[in-house]
Amino acid sequence: MFNSISKYADQVDFAMMYIMVISVIMLLGVTAVMLYFVYKYSHKRNKKPIQTHGSAALETVWIVVPTIIVISMFYVGYADFDTNRDLLDDPDYVIGVMAKQFDWDFNYENGASLDTLYVPVNKTTRFDISSYDVLHSFYIPSFRIKEDAVPGRTTQYAISPLEIGVYDITCAEYCGVRHWNMYTKIKVLSQDEYDKWYAGLTKSLSEDTSEPVKEEVVEETETTEEEKVEAEENKEEVTH
Amino acid sequence: MSDVSIDINKSSREIQEENHNKGEYTTFYDVKTKYKGILSWLLTTDHKRIGLMYLYSLMGFFLVGLTLAFLMRFEMLTPGPTIMDAQEYNSAFTLHGVIMVFLFIIPGIPAVFGNFIMPMQLGAEDVSFPRLNLMSYHLYLIGGFMALGSLIFGGTAIDTGWTFYVPYSLRTGADVILPLMAAFILGFSSILTGLNFVVTMHRMKVKGMGMFDMPLFSWGLYATAWIQVIATPVIGITIVLVVLERAFNFGIFDPALGGDPVLMQHLFWIYSHPAVYIMILPAFGVMSDVIATFSRRQIYGYKAMAISMMAIVFVGYMVWAHHMFTSGMSDFARAMFSFFTFLVGVPTGVKIFNWLATLWRGSIKITVPMFFSLASIFLFSIGGLTGLVLGALSTDVHLHDTYFVVAHFHYVILGGILTMFFAAFHYWFPKMFGRMYNQKVAMFGAIMYFIGVNVLYFPMFIMGYQGMPRRYYDYLPEFQIYHVISTVGSWILITAILTMIINLFYAIKNGRVEKGNYWEAMTMEWEDSPSPPPLLNFEKTPVFRHGPYDYPDFSDEKIEEAK
Amino acid sequence: MSAVSETHDNHHHDHAGHGYGDNSKLYIHIFRDDLGSKVGMWLFLFTEVLLFGGLFFLYFGYRVADPQAFHDAALNLDVMLGAVNTIVLLTSSLTMVLAIVAIQRDSVKLSLFYLAVTIACALTFLVNKYFEWSAKIHHGIYPGSDHVAEMPQGEISFFGLYYLMTGLHTFHVIVGAIIIAVCMVFIVKKHINKDKYIILENSGLYWHLVDLIWIFLFPLFYLLH
Repeated sequence: MFNSISKYADQVDFAMMYIMVISVIMLLGVTAVMLYFVYKYSHKRNKKPIQTHGSAALETVWIVVPTIIVISMFYVGYADFDTNRDLLDDPDYVIGVMAKQFDWDFNYENGASLDTLYVPVNKTTRFDISSYDVLHSFYIPSFRIKEDAVPGRTTQYAISPLEIGVYDITCAEYCGVRHWNMYTKIKVLSQDEYDKWYAGLTKSLSEDTSEPVKEEVVEETETTEEEKVEAEENKEEVTH
Repeated sequence: MSDVSIDINKSSREIQEENHNKGEYTTFYDVKTKYKGILSWLLTTDHKRIGLMYLYSLMGFFLVGLTLAFLMRFEMLTPGPTIMDAQEYNSAFTLHGVIMVFLFIIPGIPAVFGNFIMPMQLGAEDVSFPRLNLMSYHLYLIGGFMALGSLIFGGTAIDTGWTFYVPYSLRTGADVILPLMAAFILGFSSILTGLNFVVTMHRMKVKGMGMFDMPLFSWGLYATAWIQVIATPVIGITIVLVVLERAFNFGIFDPALGGDPVLMQHLFWIYSHPAVYIMILPAFGVMSDVIATFSRRQIYGYKAMAISMMAIVFVGYMVWAHHMFTSGMSDFARAMFSFFTFLVGVPTGVKIFNWLATLWRGSIKITVPMFFSLASIFLFSIGGLTGLVLGALSTDVHLHDTYFVVAHFHYVILGGILTMFFAAFHYWFPKMFGRMYNQKVAMFGAIMYFIGVNVLYFPMFIMGYQGMPRRYYDYLPEFQIYHVISTVGSWILITAILTMIINLFYAIKNGRVEKGNYWEAMTMEWEDSPSPPPLLNFEKTPVFRHGPYDYPDFSDEKIEEAK
Repeated sequence: MSAVSETHDNHHHDHAGHGYGDNSKLYIHIFRDDLGSKVGMWLFLFTEVLLFGGLFFLYFGYRVADPQAFHDAALNLDVMLGAVNTIVLLTSSLTMVLAIVAIQRDSVKLSLFYLAVTIACALTFLVNKYFEWSAKIHHGIYPGSDHVAEMPQGEISFFGLYYLMTGLHTFHVIVGAIIIAVCMVFIVKKHINKDKYIILENSGLYWHLVDLIWIFLFPLFYLLH
């Protein structure tokens, strides 16, 4: 579960942990103080309230300290986002993502258009995202990325996966009656596998551009992909 | 009759009861008015009657929204179809959103308790523009019936989500125009209420009372009223544009005609984000009044509390686009809005610390409203702190439009606002009706409510982080366990809410009679006016004698002084 | 304004039938606060400005996105008709002020005359607008028409905004004219008189706002090529 799927995903998880840990401490602190006061100064124990109207020093402390904390949180979130933005400028691969009700088209540089996404491992792939009809949102939970598909404009996000595997892609912006059914897969292949697959795809395109051939290609790679994963698992078992 | 002598041996409650026993008075319920029967309510300009009409209407719409929520949660019990199809589910969550947001939580506390209580807190006889106030209510009613009408008579009920983003809202075959026009009319009603309250709080305060002598509930309403005035017109024009675009293809938002759908999101959130503060600021006000009353303490840092509310209003204006971190706007804008979002967290934090400090050295009684307030500090803190994760850019990109956001939002709304709505209801109930509800039942309901909110919404944080998107009719099997817990939570919560509502409404007619200052509070609506109040709120023109939270001080110096 | 302010700051506070114990009496609650009314009116105008503000926000958004299309599309509009309407509205604002001054001086007939001129200006504006729009529609330029659909995208937005903004403004002119007509009735019935003219003043404020918005619309659509 906690393998490093991509460096960016790890950074996001770290930011999440950072903010959550501080938040939980603050929540527990507030609750503990509240319960203590409710016990200590309950009407049973303390019939005579004492008035204080505030303290400039104390109030300054609890304005300044939280401000510093939240600015650090802002920085953590912003820095991660910014590192991802740097990936956009210099991608190894660019894949067009077109959303439509209720499906995805992944457009490769060779002109192929598939409904499953293939990317190579250890390389940066940029997605140029747009939509044919209404708003959608291109969401890969495992890679912690999400970007709206807006008709008439192109948005971008990039990933550099570190782990071979199959992950879910889904739509996160409400788009109609089958919004829940826009699940597809992203398959991260080794560089060799990817090159082989891509060459096969290009070849099949030049021979025949009709749909069935593409489907075949997809299935073929799917089996090799599964074999690959199986083989790796076997290898691990052996070493254990 | 301005020189009111105070006998220090008597509690304010005793003094007041004596005063009330001297002269008979007619409550605003019994007073003879120009119209009779139902018309004496529908055509009244009395702020108290208008407040009560809002109460009953709001409760009606709330129950409709609650029913939709119940059905939605039931549908999510199992993957695949459970009790409805996908189209029905989409309509259900849209109508749940539209009804709860526009018809319940935005008018919420200001329309009911603001109308009833705020003029009395100022020592005023009514709001500045009573007829305008009635008009607001009529507009609210018309808007409400239009929204319900689209549920009942429309072909396919609206299925765009309450955010009605273009271009989907331009393309869907469902009935969009009627509910949007309803939202427009409700917005107009909200503007008029806000305008009325701002003028009231400037012009109607009793002689001698300054802005910083107002109870914090009134301050909360003041801040809210400003947002209503400033922000609501923007949603008004957005709605008009979407409706016209849908009807006549103006090419303003439709990308097929050169329009920009992201601009529509900007306009939408310029209103709808401040709308969250329209909802929460009155709740903060109630919290301050309740906590001061039941810990017998001056509110700690009163001025900071008042000013922080105005700070939230203005900083709250600069954060709208944090709803749009994945919308494709420029990276610079994302960073700016993220930064301001964190800043708006600070005044909110200050308020929580000040409430805690108010408890310090007090004399705390855990009554039903007080329990709600303390529970609300806990629940709202969860809502607020998870908001930090959503304010940070990288984590928000992952969590945006997932169940994490749903959980965050509902912790804020139910934990922060609905809780305080019920706190206000239980707190001012004896004031409004001159009767008392069964406190044991109410406390039972309150505890169950607290449990229900947590069971219902906490699992959603986990699902959300694991990547369960919102507005999904169906889900992957691995999420089922969380959905089941959540649905069970919804049953607990609904039972709790119904228990409290039945208990309260039963007490309106049958509760024990309580005419005085039941909680021994120091604000004018309790101290200077009998319960339920006479037509013009006070038996004689009230006099401003002391600040809203001048509770007795038992510190050594003060006792020395007294000697 | 200085002559007016004396009465403004006074709360006029009046209760008839103050007998609380007496169930049989009818309560009439009369409360008058002219300054409060004026503050309320200003707040309302503020919301109107924001309503149009949303549209101006869109106008600038689209103009920045495609200045050339806005330039080309603006050439289709008749500057002459726009200029005439600007003069008409400015005149009407003047007569509105004169009407208020007249009622303060208790010259009812003069006030009614100025208000009538104001309404006449409003009607002139509307007639002018009618000819302008019908000429456009005659040429096939209206939202959703085939002609507009063939235009570049920026020009579609321009004409969309043109119809929306001038349309919304025209709606305000019609409402304003009706309000002024109601004021005339009130003056005849003496509801508005030299001691109590806050309704007329507030109507005047509203009318000035309608005028002011046009002052912004005119250059943005007609003059900026």
